[in-house]
Amino acid sequence: MSHSGIIFPGIIACFAVSLTATVIVPNAQLGSLSPEFKEEDGRVVDSYPVADVSLAARGKEVYVSQGCQSCHTQVVRGNDTADVERGWGVRKTVPRDYLFENPPVIGAGRLGPDLANVGSKSWRNEPADDPYKPEKRDAAWQMLHLYHPTAVSKLSNMPSYSFLFKTHRIAGSGDKDALKGLPKSLLPKEGFEIIPSADAKALVAYLLSLDRSHSLKEAPVVAATAPTGK
Amino acid sequence: MTEAAALEATPSHSPLDAAAASVLAPSRSAIDASVRPVVVGLFLTATVWLLVSTILGALAAVKLHHPGFLNFSFLSYGRLAPAAENAFVFGWCGAAALGVGAWIIARTSGRVSPGHTLAAFGAVLWNGGVLVGLVATLAGWMRPLNGLESPIAAYLLLFAGLALFSMWVLLTFHDDEHHSLAAMFIIAAFVWLGLSLLTGNLLIATNSVTGVVQQIVAAWTAGAVSRLFLVPLALGAAFYVVPKVSGAPIIAGSFARVLFWMYFLCAGLSLAAKVPGDLLPLWLGATAASASILMVVPVVALVYILFASAGASHHGSGSPSMRFTVFGCGGLILSSLLIALASLRSVDAVVRFTLFDAGIQSLLIHVSVTMVLFGAIYYMMPRLSECEWLSSSLISFHFLGTAYGSSMAVGMLLLSGLAAGGAISEGASSFQQVMEVGSSYFWGNSISYVFVMAAHAAFGLHFLLMALKIGQPAGEPTLLRAGSEH
Repeated sequence: MSHSGIIFPGIIACFAVSLTATVIVPNAQLGSLSPEFKEEDGRVVDSYPVADVSLAARGKEVYVSQGCQSCHTQVVRGNDTADVERGWGVRKTVPRDYLFENPPVIGAGRLGPDLANVGSKSWRNEPADDPYKPEKRDAAWQMLHLYHPTAVSKLSNMPSYSFLFKTHRIAGSGDKDALKGLPKSLLPKEGFEIIPSADAKALVAYLLSLDRSHSLKEAPVVAATAPTGK
Repeated sequence: MTEAAALEATPSHSPLDAAAASVLAPSRSAIDASVRPVVVGLFLTATVWLLVSTILGALAAVKLHHPGFLNFSFLSYGRLAPAAENAFVFGWCGAAALGVGAWIIARTSGRVSPGHTLAAFGAVLWNGGVLVGLVATLAGWMRPLNGLESPIAAYLLLFAGLALFSMWVLLTFHDDEHHSLAAMFIIAAFVWLGLSLLTGNLLIATNSVTGVVQQIVAAWTAGAVSRLFLVPLALGAAFYVVPKVSGAPIIAGSFARVLFWMYFLCAGLSLAAKVPGDLLPLWLGATAASASILMVVPVVALVYILFASAGASHHGSGSPSMRFTVFGCGGLILSSLLIALASLRSVDAVVRFTLFDAGIQSLLIHVSVTMVLFGAIYYMMPRLSECEWLSSSLISFHFLGTAYGSSMAVGMLLLSGLAAGGAISEGASSFQQVMEVGSSYFWGNSISYVFVMAAHAAFGLHFLLMALKIGQPAGEPTLLRAGSEH
């Protein structure tokens, strides 16, 4: 039985089957997605998602370059999982959420929490009634967390990104972006202050832009799990 | 000389080499001599990458429990982990696989290879691709694509290297009626890797596909490197080495050929399962999960055929090549079972995004493929260097260190993944509590690297001596002590 003549056409046929099923057909299905529009009286009053061209777009580059995606996902899983219950989102994420991301930063695994909605008000990383839950995770909180994670999140296993900050001598009334609220052990020398680099500012802008809680017809926000607004 | 030793020294009993044994064909030593510089050179670079990636991997493992250790941007866990893994996959496994594949094709085709220029250029480009990928990733020039993190330039270099190298291999390839299964696996692996590296990277880099489809293509491309290049190549090497060492031909060869095609079809359809199900069309998630489960059949049956064929013979029980290959093939079966298990919806809901997945990948690449490649190198080097391995104790040390160390690492990753996955499913806990549960295994993972590093260093030294032709006189294979007791 001769198999020698069949090896090249055979393996190319197998490759073609795999390519068709895994790439071509899914691309025809998912590649034709468009933003979901809401119209009133013939006017578009709402569109989601929107392409990002702000400082956050630069921040995404910093996020990827620092390898954040090695430990943080940006995917809220649906049924059978506790992702929504944990406070990582108000609904599961779907392909339409990533329409303008080439490629979407899905992430490799969760050595840290999911960040798909870290910029939304309702995002939390601890039970809703946890006494250690921070009041808010605003830009100032994110800056401190990047500079020294355990300063604001006691048990955090995240490394410090202090190399995205500079310590310099206070000039005049000081830099408006200088880190505030540092614990005593981390305070710089008298007359100095710690300021975020442009990369750190962009990164925080990106993190705060992450919000995939807009209701979609294929993934409606479930009322019971809607943000408590705390 | 023991009987087993005699067989390993003169492995001409297998019908696989019928063509080479004919009077007109060049002698085996002439074939070996014609590929020696390229193959030994590739193994040298592979060994360097093995050591480099193991050190980087150990550093990443330490950072799991000491996140502040060596806190520089270029050594942050986020960059280190993919850099180490890619150096291991493409640098060590890839370069070693090219060398093993080229030699087996030359042997089974019974042809002397025509010059080295193509192959040498190919090998340099391939290694250049690995280096560019490593440096770029540590410098932060990376893509958020799992398993495909290096910049496109690195993959174009790897593809160019592979293309030149494959041309050289095909020049030696002789398409005849008694085409061996080993050669089929190797040729198919080379063809698939070339097609998928080029197609996948171009589709993404040119934005021909967008959004989530880019991640599907990345999973398809990166997954193919493991499942459609390294695993078939390991199977090909096993199907060459085991019959040679045992002296018994493969039984059920035609059935094995059916399984060969089944493997490529199933593995080719299984790759989308690496993307979370919520981001896939329903039918694709289901197809990939079914293919992952079906893939168990050809893997188990092929390994069964391989060892059922060898089982009748008592030869080769003390052969280092045999011991490494058996261990690696056992790992292949276990990996395929775990891949099938993790593709079940209920299991996926728990272990997805935990280190369980890293554990499976580690079992597949760091244990199974790596052990089979070591086995092939232990078999090939005495033939390429015309002397035998210097010390059986060093081989034993290498085997035990790698077997214990890498199995321990796999165990720790799987357990950590299961623990963290279980905890993450409890919505009422904080994420810090989840990580505390998972992190109790991180120390064990780091300790396993001590064994693995020591074992790989021993191999590196032994290999270097062999490349310099420092060893026992040719003729009496260096067997492990256990062998002489049988």
